[in-house]
Amino acid sequence: MSALLQAELLKLRTTRTFVALVAAALALSLLVVVLVSILADEFNDNDVRNLFTADFTGLFIVLLGVIGMAGEWRHRTITSTVLAAPDRIRLLAAKMLSYAAAGALLSLIVTLTIMLVGTVILSLRDKETADLADLVDVLWRNLLVAALVGALGVGIGAVVRNQVAAIIGVLFAAFVLEPTLLGLAPDYGRFGPTQGAPSGIIQVAGFDGEDTENLLAPGVAVLVMLGWIGAFFAAAAARLRGGDLV
Amino acid sequence: MAPVEIRGLSKRFGNVLAVNDLSFDIDAGRVTGFLGPNGAGKSTSLRALLGLVRPTSGTATFGGRRYEELQRPSTKVGAVLEDASFHPGRTGRNHLRVLAVTGRHPPERVDVVLDTVGLTAAADRRVKGYSMGMRQRLAIASALLGDPEVLILDEPTNGLDPPGIAWMRGMLREQASRGRAVLVSSHLLAEVAQSVDDVVVISGGQMRGHGTLEQVLGGDEGPATQVRSQDDQRLARALQAAGHDVTALAAGGGLIVPGVSPQDVGVIAHDAGIYLVALGQQSRSLEQAFFALTGGESIA
Repeated sequence: MSALLQAELLKLRTTRTFVALVAAALALSLLVVVLVSILADEFNDNDVRNLFTADFTGLFIVLLGVIGMAGEWRHRTITSTVLAAPDRIRLLAAKMLSYAAAGALLSLIVTLTIMLVGTVILSLRDKETADLADLVDVLWRNLLVAALVGALGVGIGAVVRNQVAAIIGVLFAAFVLEPTLLGLAPDYGRFGPTQGAPSGIIQVAGFDGEDTENLLAPGVAVLVMLGWIGAFFAAAAARLRGGDLV
Repeated sequence: MAPVEIRGLSKRFGNVLAVNDLSFDIDAGRVTGFLGPNGAGKSTSLRALLGLVRPTSGTATFGGRRYEELQRPSTKVGAVLEDASFHPGRTGRNHLRVLAVTGRHPPERVDVVLDTVGLTAAADRRVKGYSMGMRQRLAIASALLGDPEVLILDEPTNGLDPPGIAWMRGMLREQASRGRAVLVSSHLLAEVAQSVDDVVVISGGQMRGHGTLEQVLGGDEGPATQVRSQDDQRLARALQAAGHDVTALAAGGGLIVPGVSPQDVGVIAHDAGIYLVALGQQSRSLEQAFFALTGGESIA
């Protein structure tokens, strides 16, 4: 398994996709943090904490996982991948684990960067800043979410296989379906894999005026995410195990 | 036990029986050509052999084990499939590095196989800039990475220029001379005829012919001998007395002796005190043999 993990991580490092997604996630997250840190007047402890969860790694990581797995079919490299690692279930598991690790790494880079930049700007403006305990709390939650959605993305890519359809589906779920459900039927929306459950882990509902009472408790949210990952893993494994690669 | 054994292999896709009860062995130290017309089932058979396609029935094994059961399969089997594909944004070297890590091969093997296939100079270019021939060489480098005991190559000369084809021929022979079992499918009959020791011909998913190249070229009776002598009538009688069929060719053309080697004909002539003027093996071309075995279907 360790050889498979190393190979998948090497695959990630040897294309421009990972670097491009890190850069995009970092740029977008920094843009939000810089603008809010500079322009917002009133800050309390919770607002600062929310500010540092404004990294976009979750979305980028789920897309990275989708691209990484569905890309095996798009570029028709799945054949050579399976020839090198004929145990398809181990291969799928290794891919999920490696993208979870990559997600955590990407989130680490982005979260530390926005924490540093945001804290510097807020300090220069004599605004409230988060203490170290709060920063650490935000950091591990971000890393956990990034790892989980990385694995989820691989599962989605392995089930859908058509890269474009999978990406459109994820974006639709993240920007349309789940926000709508969270607004209209939060009892259902909070179980969603791209917004609802991750928000429960991070325990962020939004700035001023919103609270976290509609969110799942962090532990429950983690279990829900693991459930989604398990479901996609099982569906993907069934497709992979029985399918012909022609 | 042969390095590769296929027994009763069948594969059905819906109503289509793509491969029907195929059985043959691939021996070590020999190059086996795998021939068949379009849709004959060659690629399906190779994919079933490699565990990419699940057989409906039958088995395909390497030393008695299915491909999926092999430990570090790239050290046992190297494969180049017809549609070998690569991530276009990855360099040739990095593609091989990924496979080396997966197969737990020493990193130095990457440089060795790049050199073997003549891709060292282009190794750090992205694959999307490779020509078809370069991609084919990269696929072959991938197959050789684990220094495998068995090589399976599906149309390996696709995209190669004449020097590349000549290189491929030499590479196949060299691998066989090192004791590797090599199975190569190709639509280039002349190319196959120069490279292989054994031939498997399939059509409609079924085996049509299997044997050494000489056997297949010789038809059911094996290769024939064409001989001319100072006295063909006496020689014909001597051969018939030895129990062989003889066909006389038109005036001065000599005799055809099916199923007998030139050496045996020479011995009979010597024993009868007949001087020979010409002696040699007469074979069908591989193309003629192929059409005879497949009922005249065009070749893939």
